[in-house]
Amino acid sequence: MTTRTLFIGMDGATFTVLNDLTAKTGEGPVMPFMARIFEKGVRTKLRSTPNPLTPPAWVSLMTGRSPGHHGVFDFIRAEEHAGDVFFTLYDSRDCRVETIWSIASRQGKRVAALNFPFTAPPPEDLNGFLVPGFVPWRHLRRNTAPNDLYDRLKTIPDFNPKELAWDFEQEKQALNDLTDEDRENWVRYHLPREKQWFRIADYLLREEAPDLMAVMFDGVDKLQHQAWLYVDPNQQKGELSDYHKRMRKLCLDYFRQLDGFIEHLVTAAGPDVQVFMASDHGFTATTEIVRINTYLHEKGYLKWKEVPDTEAGKRREDSMFAFLDWEHTIAYCRTPSSNGINIRVARKSGETGIKPEEYEAVRNRLARDLEDLKDPVTGERIITEIHRREDVFPGVAMEDAPDLLLVLRDFGFVSIKNKQPAVEPRPEIAGTHHPDGVFLAYGPGVRQGASIARRNITDVGATLLYSLGLPVPSDFEGKVPEAMFTDGHLATHPIVIGDSTNRQVKDDRSDGMGDDEKEKIMAQLQLLGYME
Amino acid sequence: MNTLTQATPEKTVIVIVEDLIQDWGLDFDGDIDGETLLVSNLEFASVDIIQLCVALEQHYKRKLGFQDLLMDKGSYVGDLSISRIAEFVDARLNEPEAARA
Repeated sequence: MTTRTLFIGMDGATFTVLNDLTAKTGEGPVMPFMARIFEKGVRTKLRSTPNPLTPPAWVSLMTGRSPGHHGVFDFIRAEEHAGDVFFTLYDSRDCRVETIWSIASRQGKRVAALNFPFTAPPPEDLNGFLVPGFVPWRHLRRNTAPNDLYDRLKTIPDFNPKELAWDFEQEKQALNDLTDEDRENWVRYHLPREKQWFRIADYLLREEAPDLMAVMFDGVDKLQHQAWLYVDPNQQKGELSDYHKRMRKLCLDYFRQLDGFIEHLVTAAGPDVQVFMASDHGFTATTEIVRINTYLHEKGYLKWKEVPDTEAGKRREDSMFAFLDWEHTIAYCRTPSSNGINIRVARKSGETGIKPEEYEAVRNRLARDLEDLKDPVTGERIITEIHRREDVFPGVAMEDAPDLLLVLRDFGFVSIKNKQPAVEPRPEIAGTHHPDGVFLAYGPGVRQGASIARRNITDVGATLLYSLGLPVPSDFEGKVPEAMFTDGHLATHPIVIGDSTNRQVKDDRSDGMGDDEKEKIMAQLQLLGYME
Repeated sequence: MNTLTQATPEKTVIVIVEDLIQDWGLDFDGDIDGETLLVSNLEFASVDIIQLCVALEQHYKRKLGFQDLLMDKGSYVGDLSISRIAEFVDARLNEPEAARA
């Protein structure tokens, strides 16, 4: 058995940073192996999902389908029920289409998928190995497949599930403004964490050599959010403080370590492996805070809820979820990561919101009001793009998407806090998601030293199936980028379009979940302590 | 989980809870039974309760509407015993499909 295809995901990786870290400076590049990939392989920008966010983007990468079809739009799914809005975390059962892990499995290929979000609970039809991402360590065992894998992982020297897994508390803290010391610790926290994932990948590669070996390193995103000032090459000019230099060195240590992991995995996979790397979105600097619900309040679309003067009230106000007087709210933003506006429509007797027949008029007025949010000095629009959901999220799951999707002028995520003013500069720049990530290929059959036209994130899944020698399902939106491969390879390995994906996943979900049930299940996740 | 196919809901809940907590390093050294409390005895956090609900729904291969167990008159319950969960599961399993839809 040999591994045919190696996929390395790097959450949030961007050429802005990778170009800098692969440049030949006096001391040599920080990422020499990545420089070799650039030189000997193919590179292209990768356009993310309309809202360039981890959940919809990784699921699109894993399914070859856009969010309007797969149905995962955010970390949090919200639904209105009995006059309140309930929040729940998305999981793999919410994905309405088949993943490449299942597609490859049912065609006899063995796969290993490590640290990909929204893969828990694992699919029952998996032929191979899965350790999910974004799952707390206490629940890794149950969400790891096959059943005996977790105990096998415990035999890996220094295996530590607490170091490996998603830590709710750490993640929550990272959303807040950190002190200098906290920020330094945040970067340090990801060094051993990535090593844990690397060791598992290395172990499975050596012991099992699955046809498709896939591992995702998400520290790139986490680190860049909090330490963009020290990572972005454009910020390394002028007089730099000792702290800045120390943080820069720490960040470079992270990328140096990552480069070593990648080199090790590629080497261990052998000379015949085709290697692909991709990120779910890119990164850039955000310079201002846009309090979108504050603006909607000023325009009369929503009313804030009175917050009780208690600890619980304070926690609720500080949470990541809108806290509003629903009876007097017709449009609002639910979560910062959604960058979307939801319009409340009263569809049943007794529900609050606008009448269904008012929907288009209200949405048009709302869009015009959002266009009017402008920089008082330059007159420039703060929200540069306002998309209707049918334009960016067409598909069977569109009803779950926000009614309007916003793109801010600095690509930042909105704030939903009840604070003034609606727009103000950040005290210090921070990292935010850019729609263009990276897509790299390297190995036999791949062109050398080529840079090709930008691809779409749905193309990655199609490319991985093609590399495995499998047909690309006819209902995939993603296409294999022919320009990535040599003419000789394409001649001997023609791209085949096969049957459509297996819809069983979606059908199972529908059968088990009626409308009422779907509505009710939302309540469960309000239990999550960090939501209150 | 195959051995659970014919088990009572209480036995099923106990086995699944034992499976969940096996690596947690809890101080709890008794046997889990119907009176065991998730929060007080087994240090469940809210996210752990959600994972237990998912595990039970996976086992029974159907949605069980746990929000009706977790909420009481608009507030969330502070703790749950194994037997209370089992009673709820048992009731849901014996409900006609139409009553849940």
